[in-house]
Amino acid sequence: MKCSDVQQVLPEIIDGTGDAEFQQHLESCPACSELVSELRLISSESRGLAESDEPPARVWVGIANQLRAEGVIRDSETVHGRPVLVPAPARRWNVWWLAPVAVAILAVGSYQLTHKSASPAPAQQATVQQPAQPAVGQQVVQQPTIAEQRTPETAKPEVKQPVLTAQRHNRPAPSPRTETPIVAGNVKGAAEISPPASEEDQQFLSEVSQRAPGMRATYERQLRAVNTEIRETQEYIKRYPGDLDARQHLMEVYQQKALLYQMALDRIQ
Amino acid sequence: MPHLNRVAAGKGNLTDPKHGITEAEAIERAKQGDEAAFEILYQLHKRRVYSLCLRMVSNPSQAEDLAQEAFLQLFRKISTFRGESAFSTWLHRMTVNVVLMQLRKKGLPSVSLEETLETEEEAPRKEFGADDVKLSGSIERMQLQRAIDRLPPGYKTVFVLHDVEGFEHNEIAQMVGCSIGNSKSQLHKARLKLRDYLRSMRAAKAQSD
Repeated sequence: MKCSDVQQVLPEIIDGTGDAEFQQHLESCPACSELVSELRLISSESRGLAESDEPPARVWVGIANQLRAEGVIRDSETVHGRPVLVPAPARRWNVWWLAPVAVAILAVGSYQLTHKSASPAPAQQATVQQPAQPAVGQQVVQQPTIAEQRTPETAKPEVKQPVLTAQRHNRPAPSPRTETPIVAGNVKGAAEISPPASEEDQQFLSEVSQRAPGMRATYERQLRAVNTEIRETQEYIKRYPGDLDARQHLMEVYQQKALLYQMALDRIQ
Repeated sequence: MPHLNRVAAGKGNLTDPKHGITEAEAIERAKQGDEAAFEILYQLHKRRVYSLCLRMVSNPSQAEDLAQEAFLQLFRKISTFRGESAFSTWLHRMTVNVVLMQLRKKGLPSVSLEETLETEEEAPRKEFGADDVKLSGSIERMQLQRAIDRLPPGYKTVFVLHDVEGFEHNEIAQMVGCSIGNSKSQLHKARLKLRDYLRSMRAAKAQSD
């Protein structure tokens, strides 16, 4: 075997031992032996670079913030084995006041919101009783409306879920103009809880495209993620309409969407 | 060539020393949206991901963005992870895809254009004085990193994927979109160039000393 032969076969055999002829040549040729030795040294030393560098702390901060904004990260007290959509049972928030806050954020954040008059709240309105506070706890989880108002479903006369009561809530009724109460215990009503119409999202994205075209893809992706979460939560509520945690989670996801609008507004102004 | 802990790491038996839970446990908790679990997974794999990005693009700021994007893409899909393959392998491949996508966006060739200019028989042009200094013992890490940074994009990609990250040529060929023979050829030329760079660095250092 000649040196030129070694050069030719080297790409194929350098990571192995090569045949006897190759080995014999290396033993007799210092130049080729040195070449092979150094190439193998470079290869072996390079393996140590695989985990050689530490990213700055801001990389994780950016990841966490984004995951929270998308609703991928939830409370770290999540109980093992519970459905993904259900937050920790220990938390019980009174969320009735979140609805107008979320609506206000969404109204400020969306350039193309159209507020149509809401139909009056139905006369019959079931409320959900908190299991932890049977005597006092009554709350209505309300859906913030940023788009077309859907006619709230009237409650069915038969309430089939044992955890639900038909007691009137004792909190001041929010403005019917901006909020549509969720009719708990009404499977059909729960099923009619739907996310804000996609037309508003499209209008929002259109505004982003005009003002900051490079950011459209990012916001479109994020909107898609949060809308998916909204839809899945609603489907879950449809199956388990008495699940307060799920309703609370839905509220939080709406908040996240409002936050997304606000963040976009802050960035593109 | 042995892989770099790919099998061991992927069995979910990595344990976070701070929290005392295994990677597999962290994955299950992360599927439920547990922020602490996500952070554990990040801490377990951040160096690997970031180092890969940095080696490939040679720019710390870009590497940060790419590492962030790789983790985000992975974490968004974590609910779909069923454990058929190693988690680290999944993350590893996703990182490579993110980086290669970025390189393609920038119009940089995945395979070196020098492939079309050099014949197989030609050796890379030697740097002056390089013949006088031999490489032996160990190579200083900073020198090696600087030398890798100097490689043309196509050579760098194949070299990093094979010698640093431990991918096989058939895997590289699939990821990069070239033939196995091409991958081997690029790797060999990359090593030859690195040898040349390192020798010239040592020669320069020897002259200045």
